[in-house]
Amino acid sequence: MTASLLFDILVTGLITGGIYALVALGLNLQYGLMRVLNVAHGEFLMLGAYVTYSLHTGWGANPLLTLLVTGPAAFVAGLVLHRLLYARVLAQAEAREAIESRSLLLSFGLLFVLQNTALLVWSADLQGYSYLATPLRVLGAVFPANRVLAAVVALGLSIAFYVYLRRSLVGKAIRALMEESEGAQLVGVNLTRLHGICFGLGVAMAAVTGSLISMLFELTPFVGLPYTVTALVVVILGGLGNVAGSLLAALLLGVVETVGVYLASSDIRLISSYAVLSLILILKPAGLFGR
Amino acid sequence: MAASRVLLAAVALALAAAPWLVTGYQRSLLLAILADIALAVSWAFFSGPTRYLSLATGAFFGAGAYATAVVGGRLAWPLPVLAGAAVGGAMALVVGALALRLRGPYFAVFTFGLAELAKHTLIWYETRVTGTVGRLLLSPPEPWTLYYTVLGLAGLAVVTALLLRRSRWGYALVGIGEDEERALTLGIDTTRVKVGTFALSAAFMGAVGAAMAPRWTYLDPQVFNPLVSFQTVIMALVGGATTVVGPALGAAFLGLISELFLLRFRYAYMLALGLTLIAVVVAFPSGLAGIGRRAPRERPD
Amino acid sequence: MRIRRRDFLKATGGGAAGAVLRGRAWAQAKPIRIGYTLSATGPYSVGAGITQGTGYALWLEQVNAKGGLAVKGEGRRSVEYVTIDDRSEIETAVRFYEKLMGDDKVDLILPPWGTAMNFAVAPVANKYGYPMIGPTVSSNKLKELSFPYFYAILQQPDACMGAFTGFLKELKGQGKVSKVGVAYVNDLFGIEMHGSLTATLKDTGLEIVDTKSYPLGVKDLSPVLKGFKAAGADVFLGLTYPPDNILAASQAKEVDFNPPVYLAAVGTAFPFYRDRFKGAEGVSGIAGWNPKMKYPGAREYYEAHVKKHQKEPDRWASAFAYGSLQILERCVGEVGLDRKKIKEMLDATEFQTVAGPIKFAKGVNVTTPGMVGQWQKGEFEIIWPKALATAPAIIPKPAWA
Repeated sequence: MTASLLFDILVTGLITGGIYALVALGLNLQYGLMRVLNVAHGEFLMLGAYVTYSLHTGWGANPLLTLLVTGPAAFVAGLVLHRLLYARVLAQAEAREAIESRSLLLSFGLLFVLQNTALLVWSADLQGYSYLATPLRVLGAVFPANRVLAAVVALGLSIAFYVYLRRSLVGKAIRALMEESEGAQLVGVNLTRLHGICFGLGVAMAAVTGSLISMLFELTPFVGLPYTVTALVVVILGGLGNVAGSLLAALLLGVVETVGVYLASSDIRLISSYAVLSLILILKPAGLFGR
Repeated sequence: MAASRVLLAAVALALAAAPWLVTGYQRSLLLAILADIALAVSWAFFSGPTRYLSLATGAFFGAGAYATAVVGGRLAWPLPVLAGAAVGGAMALVVGALALRLRGPYFAVFTFGLAELAKHTLIWYETRVTGTVGRLLLSPPEPWTLYYTVLGLAGLAVVTALLLRRSRWGYALVGIGEDEERALTLGIDTTRVKVGTFALSAAFMGAVGAAMAPRWTYLDPQVFNPLVSFQTVIMALVGGATTVVGPALGAAFLGLISELFLLRFRYAYMLALGLTLIAVVVAFPSGLAGIGRRAPRERPD
Repeated sequence: MRIRRRDFLKATGGGAAGAVLRGRAWAQAKPIRIGYTLSATGPYSVGAGITQGTGYALWLEQVNAKGGLAVKGEGRRSVEYVTIDDRSEIETAVRFYEKLMGDDKVDLILPPWGTAMNFAVAPVANKYGYPMIGPTVSSNKLKELSFPYFYAILQQPDACMGAFTGFLKELKGQGKVSKVGVAYVNDLFGIEMHGSLTATLKDTGLEIVDTKSYPLGVKDLSPVLKGFKAAGADVFLGLTYPPDNILAASQAKEVDFNPPVYLAAVGTAFPFYRDRFKGAEGVSGIAGWNPKMKYPGAREYYEAHVKKHQKEPDRWASAFAYGSLQILERCVGEVGLDRKKIKEMLDATEFQTVAGPIKFAKGVNVTTPGMVGQWQKGEFEIIWPKALATAPAIIPKPAWA
C-alpha cells in the first residue's frame, strides 16, 4: 500500500462521501426533524438532474449555473407539497410512528407521480451529457475533474448549511425544534412554518445534488431510489437529526466503500456499506453520534 | 362478530372454488393478490402492534425464493415451501437478536439493509465460489397446486393473526408497542416476544417466496428485491396495520386497482396509482379498515 | 415515448371510436391480434424501448400500409397489437402472457425484453402452443431448456465471445496486443460471457493481467480502469451493459486510460453511445448488423426506421427484432395462422431477413456468427470475421474525443 494509493483511496472516498453528504442532509431535515419518511427524496434528485440536463443540452447552460434554477424551484415545490399534503398528515397523526407510516405512504404515492411525470416528459431512454470529463492530476494521482467539482460543491453547500444552522436565527429555531420541540414552541417558534421551510430545504438539497450528479451519470426516470436508500443509510449511521453526524457519516461511508472497492473488487462496495451499517447499529443503536 | 365470521367463511369458500370458475389469467391475478395478502398480514403480526417498521420483507421473501431455487428440483412439493419457511425463520432469529436494541427508524433502515446485504453477498458467493449465477426450475408444480399452496398460506396467516391477537403474546406485543419500558417492568420477556413474532412473520414470508418462485423459471439473486419490502408495508398501512383484516384489505385493494390501471392506462398508470395512494392517505387516516369507525382521539405530542 | 393515437385509443377503451376508424378502412375481415408485453417502466425499459419497441412499431405500420398481413387462404388482414407494460416485473409479465394467450386468445405473440423475462415466459408460450422468437435472449442456459415453441434469434454468449477471442487472436498474431484487462458485470449475461471467455482466451496466448467484476448499478469504475492502466493492459475487454458501459468509457477518458483496443460488449452498438462520445471513434463491441451489409432490405429498413422514429436502429439486436417479424410474416403467408404449422415451418426453413439468413436448429439461430464491430466515422463497421467485414479494423484506437 503505497502513499500514492492511500492518497488516491482517501480522496476518491471523500469525493463519493461529499456527494452523499448533501443528499443525506436533505433527508435528515425531513426525517430527523419531522419524522417524515420521504421515500420520494431520490425522485427530487432525479428531477433536478433532468432539469439541469435539459437546460444544458437544450440551451447550453453551464450545469453549475443551473443550480440557481433547480435549487430555488425545488425549495418552492417543497413548500407547496408540505402545505398541501404533509402538513395535513402531521396534524392528523396522533403518534410519531403514525407520522412515519403515513408520510411513508404519502411519499410512495408521490414517488409514483414524479417518476411517471419524468417518464412522460423525458421518456425512458438513457440521457446524459459530458461535462468536464477530463483528468485532474494531483500529487501523482488522477481524479475525474467533474467528480471533484461535484463533490466540492456538494460538500461546500453542506458545510455552509451547517454553519447556517449554528449562526442564523432560523437555524437556531430549527435546532431548537429538533432538540426540544415543545420548549421551542413555547418560546414562539412557529412549528408549521418551520416544518415547511425544512421540508423545502430538504427537497432543494436533493434537487441540487441531482443537478451535480447529472454531470457524472446517465439518467433514466428510475435512478432515484438508490439515492434515497443511501441517504437513509447515512442519516441513520450518523444519528437521526444530527446534521454534523450525517456529514461525518457520509464521508466515512464514502471512504469505507472506496477502500473495499480498491482492495477487493467493486462487488464488495455494497456488501461493505451494509456490513458497516449493521455493525455500527449493533454496537451503537442510535447511530455513531445519535442520542 | 358472527356476521364477520360468516363473511370470512364465504370469502374463503369463494377463493377455494375460484380455479374452477375463473380463467387462467384471473386465477394468476388471484394468486398474486393472495401472496400479497399473506405477506401483508404476516408483516402485521409484528409491525402492526409493536409499531416497529420492518423493511425486511424483501429479504425473507427472497430467501424463500432462493431456497426453492436450490432445492426445488430435488424435493417434492410442498417441501420447498417448508424449506423457505425454515430459512426465513432462521434468518429472522439471527437478525432479530442483532436488531434488538434498535428503535424506530434505526430498526427500519437496519432491516432494509438486510435484503441488500443478502443479495450482494449471495451474488459475490455465486460468482466467486460456485461460478454460476441463477438456477433454472424446469419442472415446476402445476398452476393449481401453486394456487392452493398460496391460498393455504394466506388463510393460515389470517388464522395465525387472529389467534395471536387473542393470545398472551398478542397482548404483550400491544404492550410493547405502547410503552416498551413499561412492558418490561410488568415482567414481559420483551426479547422473546419480539424475536419470536418477528421469526414467525419471516417464516410466512419465506414460505410465500418459496411458493411463488416456480412461476419465474429462472431464479437468481435479483429475487431479493427491496421493492417488495416497501410494497408490503404500503399494502398493510393502506388497509390499516393494527387490525387483522386491514392488511388483507389493503393488499386486495392495491392489487386490484394497480392491475386495472396497468391494463387501462398505457402511459399514466403510475400517475393514477400514486394519486390514488395519496388520496387514500389523506381521506382515510386509519386506513381502509377504519372506514366507518370513529376518528382516533388526538393525543398531545 | 410519445403517446400514439392508436395506442391511446386502445388503452382508454375507445372501442367504439376505434371500430369506426377500422371499419372505414378495412370493412371485411377481423384483424389479426398480436400480443406482447414490453417494459415501459423499470430497469428493463431502456433496452426494450431501443431494441424491440421501435422494430415492432415500424413493422406494424409497414404491414398495415400494405393492406395487412397476408394469411394463406384468407388474403390480407389488418394487424393490431395488444400490448401491456410489464413494469420490468417477471411475475407481471408471466401473468399478462397467460391473459394474452389464455383469455384474450390472441393469434400470435411476440416476446418481452431480456433473457430473464424470456425464461419466465417461454414455458407459458410453450404450454399454450404459441411460437415465440426472442431477439433479446442470450444465455448458455438455453441449452438446458427444452421448449419446442421457443426460439432464440440472437447470437449466444459462446458465439459472441468466440468472435472476441478470434479477433484478439488475430491481433496477437500480428503482434499488436499482448495484455488483456477483463471487467465484467455481475449478472447473468456478464457472468456467462466471462465464463465463455476464460475458456477460449487462454488458447490465444494473451496474458490476462487483471480481472475485475462489478455489480449492476456501479457508480465508479475508475479503480478498475486505473488498475488496468497500471498493469499495462493494451486491451480493455469490458463485458459491460448500459449504463455501466457508458460509465466505463467516460471514466476511461477521465483517468487517461486509452488502450490500443477497447472492447465493450453490450450497448456499444447503440447510436446513442456513438453520439454520447462524439463518435466513439475506434470503440469496439458485439455486433450483428449494420446498414451496409448486403442483405435484402437492410438499407430500406434503416431508412424507414430513421424516418419513422427520428433515430437510427441500434447495430445489434434491433435488426433481429425486426427480422423476427419478417419471419413470422413469411410463415403466416405460407401456412396461415395455425400455430403448430408455423412452428413446423420455423424448424425447417431458412429465412432471409434484413439481418441476413436465419435458420433455427433446436430453437437456436445457427446461421448468424458472432461479430465484432467498431465505430468508424459514424458507422459501426463489422471488423470481424473477415467474410462479413464491412471495413478493416482501426488499431490502435484513436484518443478519446
